[in-house]
Amino acid sequence: MKVAASMNRIDVNEVSKPEPDPVLVVERVSMKFNLGEQSVTAVDDVSFSVRPGEVFTVIGPSGCGKSTLFNIIGGLLGHYEGEVRIDGSKIAGSHESIGMVFQEESTFPWRNVIDNVAFPLELKGMGKSERLDRARHFIDMVGLSGFERHMPAQLSGGMRQRVAIARTLAYEPRILLMDEPFAALDEQTKLLLGEKVMEIQQRLKQTTLLITHNLSEAVQLSDRILIMTYRPGRVKRILDIKLDRPRTADVVGSEAFGRYVAEIWADLREEATRGMSDAESARR
Amino acid sequence: MAYAKIGVEARSGLLATDRAKVMAIRIAIIVVMLALWEGASHSGLFFKDVIPSIATLAAALVRLLSGSPFYANLLVTAGEIAAAMAIGSVFGIAVGLLLGANPFLARTYEPYIYYFGPTPKIIFFSVLIMLYGVGPGSKIAMGAISCFFPIALSTLAGMREINPVLIRVGKSFSARPRHMVFKILMPAMRVPMITGIRLGLGVAIIGTLLAETKLSNKGLGYMVIQSYNRFDMPTMYALIIVVVSIAVLLNVLIERWSRSNSSDNLGSLA
Amino acid sequence: MASLLRSDRFLPAATGIASLAAAVAIVELLLRAEILNPHIMPYPSDVFAAIPRIIREEAVFQRFLVTAGETLASLVLIVAIGVPLGVLLQRNPLVRKATESWFSALAAAPIVLAYPLFLVLFGRNASAIVALAVIGSIPPVVLKTVDGLAATRKVLINVGRAYSMTRRQIFWRIMVPSAIPSIFVGIRLGLIFALVKIVGVEFLINFGGLGQLINELAERYDLAGTYAAIIFVIAVSMLAFTLTEWIEKWLTQR
Repeated sequence: MKVAASMNRIDVNEVSKPEPDPVLVVERVSMKFNLGEQSVTAVDDVSFSVRPGEVFTVIGPSGCGKSTLFNIIGGLLGHYEGEVRIDGSKIAGSHESIGMVFQEESTFPWRNVIDNVAFPLELKGMGKSERLDRARHFIDMVGLSGFERHMPAQLSGGMRQRVAIARTLAYEPRILLMDEPFAALDEQTKLLLGEKVMEIQQRLKQTTLLITHNLSEAVQLSDRILIMTYRPGRVKRILDIKLDRPRTADVVGSEAFGRYVAEIWADLREEATRGMSDAESARR
Repeated sequence: MAYAKIGVEARSGLLATDRAKVMAIRIAIIVVMLALWEGASHSGLFFKDVIPSIATLAAALVRLLSGSPFYANLLVTAGEIAAAMAIGSVFGIAVGLLLGANPFLARTYEPYIYYFGPTPKIIFFSVLIMLYGVGPGSKIAMGAISCFFPIALSTLAGMREINPVLIRVGKSFSARPRHMVFKILMPAMRVPMITGIRLGLGVAIIGTLLAETKLSNKGLGYMVIQSYNRFDMPTMYALIIVVVSIAVLLNVLIERWSRSNSSDNLGSLA
Repeated sequence: MASLLRSDRFLPAATGIASLAAAVAIVELLLRAEILNPHIMPYPSDVFAAIPRIIREEAVFQRFLVTAGETLASLVLIVAIGVPLGVLLQRNPLVRKATESWFSALAAAPIVLAYPLFLVLFGRNASAIVALAVIGSIPPVVLKTVDGLAATRKVLINVGRAYSMTRRQIFWRIMVPSAIPSIFVGIRLGLIFALVKIVGVEFLINFGGLGQLINELAERYDLAGTYAAIIFVIAVSMLAFTLTEWIEKWLTQR
């Protein structure tokens, strides 16, 4: 894997250089939406950077502008203030370096598993046998070997999300950008799929940016967590998660895990409370 | 997705014994209906040949299908319907795509198409004769007007049914516009579009044939009205049976086509 | 916010009417400039002038009553035959499996082409038209009745069982009420099918109500009158269609 190889080189250099060049830099990004006469600031002056090979998570209550941030970085939203840079160069629009995994059901229902996963390669104009070989490789990686010819409708929700993840991995992005990728799944599936994704992430040294509102998911998966405030979405704090790798789903039982969850919850509680009272008053 | 599930259930839902019973019920219903028919035809309650015996009907069917006039007229009607479908679907799909892509246009013009859709179109036929003459032109126009509405409405519904996240998936992989259209939008709309074509073909067949019965000198509709004028009831029954069978068969074939999965076929080639 | 919503509705409606008016004006202009042939296409102004004339002179009200009467008679028969048939099918799963696809096929079949047959069987009168309309319009009522009854939520039936209701009680007190919206969708479809067939056959066989009006005016080569009559009949059909939609909304909201 090309990406993995270059990543290893940086890891070696890390000894002499404590702070490697970040893959992704988000600098002073703000976004306003106009709703009639009102204007709502969804994201306000957010800055952070993601280091090569790490899992960086943005966590916040519903309505903190996480998804807006996801769409800005993924290049699906324009007209924002500030800058998003990948490997030092500013990006505009969707970008080859970023592979997105969406929270919604996003497999193509008319394509079987292997054709779903091969989709980005097909767009790149890769020949049929080559792209099917590559697709098979990533299907195997997410543990769906044997299901190549199944249609999405014949799979469970968790399996479909694995297809979507494999499809994005097949794109071989510099940065894997995931928006609540496990939101539609039940708790057990969520933990096990999280473990699977972490195993792959470690294997590929895949730089990952995860967006979530789920505390334990964030702690289970991340190296660093950015906590956002509720409306307008600002950076509240960035927290290092110093749990050992490789991590399995069992990490959720450890004492350290509980401490991290409690610590983040202490920060998030205030924001979530504000969000909830806003939602309640909107219903009155 | 839903249609795929329905397909799976339909295939596995029936037990073998149930299937035999269903077959028995079907055969029983057919036999009873044929018996009632035969009884009515011999009862003397109707004028001669109004309810022809099954043997007479079968003979008329054989006579119809073995003579050349039927095929000549079938060809005329099929040509008219094909032309009507070509015109109606080009306009219908264009309008559906336009309204689907632009919410303002949809809010402006959709109500007209929606409320105009179910009105009887055959009443335009007198005007169409004046505009396009008594030949095939007016029949094609009749069929085209008929099928325009269901096709436009289904295309519009198809545009709305596209899961927006699939468009975002395409963008996230930097898909070019050509790929967006052919690899995402078109396949996502496949089922509603085929439904539109199916419904459109149904009304195009009716519109064209009714126009032929009203005023023409060729086509299956003309044959039906000729047999009526000659009071040749067996031939009229035979014609109606054949036309209805063709229409139902086409309907079933198109429905099968919409349920079959394109990706399966592609996959088996690999 | 409120004003915004209103303009949101007003602008498309205004644009729609404006473009309709513009289309009419363009046709009028093209006719006056003799680009279109006035012997084939009447002046829109003449058509509008003809609307009051046909209403006055062509016994439009009686014709409307004839068509409405045929439609009503068909509707009663469609409901009286279609709903019980649907119930029968739903209660006998094997019969349903055997015949459901036949009803869908019948719904797609061009039965209306058999109108000459109905003329022979029933004579050239309203009963032929009603019979044809009924046969062609029963399938949606049957199919939607079956759908509605079969789609009763399992939990509601379990509630009935929990209160130890009999099968009959569960059917009448739970399944039928929950199926009413779907049954009404079927009846509305049946009504539209019937209305289209009735007006169409009236036109084709030159008998009875509003359909015949168009045929007569066309045979008299009264161009403006024909167009005016078409506009009138389309307006009546659209009105009937809208009316059934309102009734359906009203029924399903309760």
